Amino acid sequence: MSYLNPLRFHFFGKFQAAVSTVNNDPLHFNNATFKKEYQERAEGPTKGWWNPRGDANWRMIGCKITSAWMDVDKHAAPDDPVLQCSLADSDLTVAAKLVDLDPAQQGVSEIWGLTIRIADEAGNTLMAAKYETAAFMNLWLRWPSGGGDKSGGAMYQSVLKEIEWGAIEESPFLLALRAAATDGLLSIKFNVDAFDDDFKSPTFTLGRIAGTIGPATATGPKHFVVGRHFMTTALPGLGFFNPAGKVNFCDAVVNEKAGKIFLDLGNSLPTVTCGGPFSNLGTLSLACECSDANGLPSLQSLGNVNYQASGWYERTSGVVILPEDRKLTPGELKAIAQNQLVIMLTDASSNSSPAIWESPGGLYARADQFVYRLNPGEAAEIQIYASVLGQPYADATIVSYFDNTQIGGGPQVGVPASALQFALLSTTDSNGRASLKVSAQNPKNPRGYIDGQVYGIRSVLVDTLPPAMGYPFNQSEFVSFLLLDEFVADPPVWYGCLQPVFQQYSNLYPIMDRFLDLSSYESICENVIPLQAAFGLAVSDPNSMPITRDLSASKRKAILQWLKNPGPDGKPLLGPVPPPVTTVAEVAETSGNGSVLPEKPGGKLAAIARVRAAQLRRFKR
Amino acid sequence: MILLDTSLLDELHGPGGLKSALQRAIELEHATIPTYLYSLYSLGNSNPEIVKIILSVIMEEMLHFSIACNIMNAIGGHPTIDKPDFVPQFPGHLPGDVEANLVVHLRRFSKDHVFNTFMVIEEPEHPLNFPAALAATRLTIGEYYTEISKQIENAGDGIFTGDIKKQATGFGFSAKELFAIHDVETARNAITIIKQQGEGTTTTPKDEADEFAHYYRFAEIYHGHHLTLVPDPPPDLPPDKKYRYDGPMIPFDEKAVLPVIANPKQSIYPKDTQAHYLNNNFNYAYTSLLKCLHVTFNGHPERLGVAIPIMLSLRELAMEMMTIPFKDGENAGPSFEYAPVNPQGPPGP
Repeated sequence: MSYLNPLRFHFFGKFQAAVSTVNNDPLHFNNATFKKEYQERAEGPTKGWWNPRGDANWRMIGCKITSAWMDVDKHAAPDDPVLQCSLADSDLTVAAKLVDLDPAQQGVSEIWGLTIRIADEAGNTLMAAKYETAAFMNLWLRWPSGGGDKSGGAMYQSVLKEIEWGAIEESPFLLALRAAATDGLLSIKFNVDAFDDDFKSPTFTLGRIAGTIGPATATGPKHFVVGRHFMTTALPGLGFFNPAGKVNFCDAVVNEKAGKIFLDLGNSLPTVTCGGPFSNLGTLSLACECSDANGLPSLQSLGNVNYQASGWYERTSGVVILPEDRKLTPGELKAIAQNQLVIMLTDASSNSSPAIWESPGGLYARADQFVYRLNPGEAAEIQIYASVLGQPYADATIVSYFDNTQIGGGPQVGVPASALQFALLSTTDSNGRASLKVSAQNPKNPRGYIDGQVYGIRSVLVDTLPPAMGYPFNQSEFVSFLLLDEFVADPPVWYGCLQPVFQQYSNLYPIMDRFLDLSSYESICENVIPLQAAFGLAVSDPNSMPITRDLSASKRKAILQWLKNPGPDGKPLLGPVPPPVTTVAEVAETSGNGSVLPEKPGGKLAAIARVRAAQLRRFKR
Repeated sequence: MILLDTSLLDELHGPGGLKSALQRAIELEHATIPTYLYSLYSLGNSNPEIVKIILSVIMEEMLHFSIACNIMNAIGGHPTIDKPDFVPQFPGHLPGDVEANLVVHLRRFSKDHVFNTFMVIEEPEHPLNFPAALAATRLTIGEYYTEISKQIENAGDGIFTGDIKKQATGFGFSAKELFAIHDVETARNAITIIKQQGEGTTTTPKDEADEFAHYYRFAEIYHGHHLTLVPDPPPDLPPDKKYRYDGPMIPFDEKAVLPVIANPKQSIYPKDTQAHYLNNNFNYAYTSLLKCLHVTFNGHPERLGVAIPIMLSLRELAMEMMTIPFKDGENAGPSFEYAPVNPQGPPGP
């Protein structure tokens, strides 16, 4: 069960992501070469990009619940209070935080510490739940005629847990939703686009959000839907993923009981303008590839999508139920169960062409959680789900291998490979599910001035590997790891030990100077108690320090030990002054500050350009 | 000096009067904070000594707020913090204040503002100068607390029926200042802390912790010098001659003050401007702070650890806003309005 459910609601509004940008450039992590001007707001590689004083706050702004469905054909009653409600974030904590995994992997920004609320017009909470931390997926060129980060779009999918229901007795819809959430979980998916990174703009740090919430079950993946997966390839280019058939990756589920297909086009249709209406691609229809009476291939239409209708996206968040006006016949359901689906575009001259196909053979495998932070000695148990035409693929062989092609920038990534250990092959159980254990060892500081190392691991069905077929692998569908270094300090002291750690945070997050000077021993001494509290919080807490969630367990332990065990003067241990540093570490690879950057660097597009440039250099070598 | 109407005493002495009076005290302790914060934020990262002094007062106002809430809980009452009229109007009077000449504003920092507002709010009741004619119908905040303390003493230890686990202690406040209240004596001690930190005593400008009372700290800012003891004072020197504002300088860089507007409202910020969105965010976070404090002092004292970071986040939100030009050479500023939804109400012009 997921948000692609007859019982669901849609929301639409704005989000705020006030990310900090000094840490977008890997070179800025180097304390030895850091310059004060990297903290200044300005476009250009020698400054701190467009929002150096960002606080990483993530907020839901003016998100209205735009429609609610009790069942496939039954909208919530017009007087159901849910239709007057907003989808809001927490009113009892600081704002949630949007966090990159690493400067070398900025393509999986996660939201941490987000509480999602359904709030009535007076702000009273009718439902509050915690969003299980998840990153965005399927970043693509949503506004093809635009440029910069504004032109990108992406989607988030996760579950809402620890649900608390308020006074919902007046809302039949919310009562039904509560009754359906038998495992105490809801499924949430939302699309983000039109993010405004122009600091002179009125809507700076804001973007558009449209999403759907429905019931979820504890079994099954949290971050994608087991169903029918439409896959495409990229047009050539250095920027965001640009789907060859104009329509981006999307998912559908077949609801046999309802005789309907639920298709989510929310992150799949290009826009005419930034955050504007969808481009007119012609008539968009869903079809099933099957055989006609003579055994010849034919396409059976399953309905059109009225994506050009006024307010369509606001009301639906891109989720459509097909066919609109009837149930699928048993014959159609049988054909759908056995054949690939395809989304067709038909122009004014009635010329039809496929925009995006279901994966070849309906084969699909994906890791559920796809971002991990690991410390030496820890292990990740990655849940991989394999399916064929939406059904679990039992006894399937999964191949897992390093894929570092989508990460990079700054010092070389993915080395040493020996620091991450996992099995090459795994087999799915009767539910099409396999567990891949990835064990971490100390990478021993391969990047020097950046803690730990980043890796990518891709898990695919052996059936889909070349040369068996030209499977259109989704470049986003791999698991990203930040493996942190082991840090030894006995006892931890300031000089030569924790000073460089605090100095780096002070360099990268200038906003902290509103509270204290992290580079100053004296300033830290004046704030020992609040620092102890902030470093002692669970990383899931929105107020956890550091906001970036990139502090290793061993460094955190050392910092807390240092703060809690003052010396005879009552202050954390200062230690001996180290000799002056005479050499500046050279980096293995530079951060793409040169000509390969697009015209407005410092955001997601710049990070992608760095990865591409690094790939190119490796290729040339 | 803030003077309260003596009719508050009738209320205090009436049925349920103690709880009503403590609710007023809680509102009063909170009410001064936005005006202090607004000036503090306008200093940005400049003038660190002044920032330190104002922050020290704000932290003690938060302490007094927490003490009042603890006493309320100790006698089985329920502080109400998350309601729209909990937030004072700016410009306006402080809750219960009847002195028409003190209109409290949200204004950028200036020495005049410190003198005309902060020092008036915190002005101690001075017995020698206290006008007898006013005393019949007006009482100071300190006197109000004295009356509350007396009322508690009259009622006796039997009123302390509240669940002690509902009281907040710790979170950076010393155990000597923020402690659980369970009888007349602990309540009296706690009220003494509020009075002394606010006003000092009749013989010294310092409280029991040897720190200057709020009025004198603000006066240090105004005079630009720390208050110090007169060297070798003769024993018969009256108390108000024992100290002088001639200690080390407290520098003030006036040019560094952010030129923010006075008394902003959400409604003045045009729709689709950065100020509009940022002010909504600020008000939502400010309201979240009040809601969090309400939860804290209604059975979840551990949430004080969540409330403090929200308060810190307000500073970051406000200071970001205060760098945005608004009009006539002035920058935008946060309006401290109750906003349980984001965005709040209809858009501006």
